[in-house]
Amino acid sequence: MTYVVGYSPHKDDACALSVAAQFARSDKDSVHAVTVVPQGWEVAAGSATDGDFTAWAQGQGEASAEEALTLLGADAGVPIAASWVTGRSVPAALLEQVEALDADMIVVGSGANGAPGRVAMTAKTDRLLHSSPVPVAIAPRGYAAEPGSRFTRVTVGFRDDDATWHLLQRVADICRRTGASLRLVTVALDRPPMYTAAVSGAEDLVREQWRRQASAAQDEAVEHLVDAGFARDEVETVLARGATWVEALDSVEWHSGDVLVVGSSSTHLLTQVFLGSSAAKIVRASPVPVVVVP
Amino acid sequence: MPTMSLGDQLKRRKPIVFQHKHHQGEELARNLSTFQLMMFGVGATVGTGVFFVLGEAVPKAGPAVLVSFLIAGLAAGLSALCYAELASAIPVSGSTYSYAYHAMGELVAVVIAGCVLLEYGVATGAVAVGWSGYFNELLLETIGWRLPQALSISPIPGTDGEPTGGLINLPAVVLVLLCMVLLIRGASESARINAIMVLIKLGVLILFAVIGFTAFDADHFSNFFGKGLAGVSAAAGTIFFSFIGLDAVATAGEEVKNPQKALPRAIIGALAIVSGIYLAVAAAGLAAKPVSFFEDSDNAEAGLALILKQITGNEFWSTILSAGAVISIFSVTLVTLYGQTRILFAIGRDGLIPRKFLEVSPKTMTPTFNTIVVAIVVALIGGFVPSDYLWDTVSIGTLVAFSMVAIGIIVMRRTHPDLERPFRIPGYPVTPILTVLACLYILWGLAAITWVIFGIWIAIVLLFYFFYGRHHATLNTYTDPEEIAEPAGRRLREDEE
Repeated sequence: MTYVVGYSPHKDDACALSVAAQFARSDKDSVHAVTVVPQGWEVAAGSATDGDFTAWAQGQGEASAEEALTLLGADAGVPIAASWVTGRSVPAALLEQVEALDADMIVVGSGANGAPGRVAMTAKTDRLLHSSPVPVAIAPRGYAAEPGSRFTRVTVGFRDDDATWHLLQRVADICRRTGASLRLVTVALDRPPMYTAAVSGAEDLVREQWRRQASAAQDEAVEHLVDAGFARDEVETVLARGATWVEALDSVEWHSGDVLVVGSSSTHLLTQVFLGSSAAKIVRASPVPVVVVP
Repeated sequence: MPTMSLGDQLKRRKPIVFQHKHHQGEELARNLSTFQLMMFGVGATVGTGVFFVLGEAVPKAGPAVLVSFLIAGLAAGLSALCYAELASAIPVSGSTYSYAYHAMGELVAVVIAGCVLLEYGVATGAVAVGWSGYFNELLLETIGWRLPQALSISPIPGTDGEPTGGLINLPAVVLVLLCMVLLIRGASESARINAIMVLIKLGVLILFAVIGFTAFDADHFSNFFGKGLAGVSAAAGTIFFSFIGLDAVATAGEEVKNPQKALPRAIIGALAIVSGIYLAVAAAGLAAKPVSFFEDSDNAEAGLALILKQITGNEFWSTILSAGAVISIFSVTLVTLYGQTRILFAIGRDGLIPRKFLEVSPKTMTPTFNTIVVAIVVALIGGFVPSDYLWDTVSIGTLVAFSMVAIGIIVMRRTHPDLERPFRIPGYPVTPILTVLACLYILWGLAAITWVIFGIWIAIVLLFYFFYGRHHATLNTYTDPEEIAEPAGRRLREDEE
């Protein structure tokens, strides 16, 4: 078992390495950085042009793997490895490696275009989310864990539906194994009120009701976790609200050992095809590394 | 729980409890100026009913319909002032119903709840029916085809008793269901869209008035009071519908700095603007067409557009008016439907209707069940009830609710003289008494059938209360003040009565 990192030297992917090492330290596991380089055409041997290309790609792959090892560094505190493979599609090649290395998780970066400090989803991440059998972690752009640090608290995006309950169960198991504490966060947007003569403060009424419902669901989840052997003070609950998703997530306090986990969608068959619309927005607004669980 | 006699329960008032916990920055620093508040009132009021009301009101009052407009406006303005005092004394989120529950006890609150539900439910249906007329007119003018009569009018004969040849008012039903979907998904109309809609409404109404006056014929105003005072009062009842919304100013009262000064100015200012536009539209309509034109029920649908078409002899201006009406009335339907769901929501919080109406979907964060039920009922009203019955039914609910508010002001002043009132109605006690009289005068003119519909509805509401609400009221069993606490979003004042 290992944490596979999709690493590309051109993509500002040091943050992904940092997150993967932090996971590996938390879970006493290893990190394996994988670089995918373009595959040559499988034409008749001896084609000089293609031979040049293959040689170039090989050089790129080796350089990149070396770079990844350097970045992971000796102070990763866990076994590290790096390799390169060829492939037509980066996500497909990464998924093959996940299977070959029996990985727990794929870790990727936020690309070079996201806002600093936030998670961004690239086209490749999107493809991974649609087809990965293992959870996909995305590092915020520019993320750098403190040397030797671990994840100490897992925040689960909690909504009162079957899928989330299932997710909660899985995360709780991991938390117990790694000694991290658990936090449930339920996120809601404050909508602007509509102008109506009928009711003043109409949206306040609805928000208040939402707050009661969400708190009740969280309390129920906490009871459930306590029954399953969690200490009450290891589980926190929080309601995040704001006018935008970013504002809502910023209303919650985060510290350096935090990671956010969201489920990919509700229970139906399209589970892997669509990241739920709220989940996608929460992922993009997150200031800490995010794990999307299929 | 201590047992309580029915009499005590009917009279018990909901105590005012606020949530103490609130997050920093949640109190909104909302400082509307008097002018903004006034424009807010204009926006909430103008142009819902006036697009349809002439066809109903002119046959009742003749040219004296202009007087009816003034009377209805006066009653609406006075009612809004009374409403403002009640709303300012009881700073909770909610509707007239909520204020009544705090001020006048459970029975009065239930009756007012019935009135307000009738007002908003039927108003939404009525607006959808009116929209349907303009929608068909717009189709006809743009693509040369409209839905057949069978699919665009209700099967129930109107007040004239003639068969309509309709099966269902399909556009009205579709409009309501469309609004339902938007509301479930959590759409909300932003302040900017709201402002644009108001401008569209004002624009097309002014357009109508300007063109209407070019066809001025003074003969149409002869025999001004020909239909008598009874006709004037009956028309005022129908017209009152188009002034609903002025009370929005009252509920926004906590957002102005000096409500004592700003509220009456804003209400009177908004009333003046709205009345001015309505009078201009009515006068232009009368100037252009004889009373007999409005009496012909064929001309009731999309009335204003029809008049424009006949005056100008081409379809250009009437197409613009129809398009403006279709767009702006769509937004009115959305907002009134929304209002209705939130009134039910407020009632649900007090346990008087099943808690299912309170359920907020964790996904869309809107009260889904509530919205679907409201939309189905409103769609049935819009699809199957002819508009003749609708306007007056809306008016009666509102007028009764407002009369009770005005009486409530007097009761509150006597029972709770020390309650802090950021806004005190000027000219007490004359103003509330005048309000009641104005409302009663208009109520007196309403047709018997309207009273029957109203009576049956209130009876249903009371029966429901006696068999369900009475036993499930949150006040019966609450143990924790938080259960009845008001959301902290509004003004934070913690004085108990």
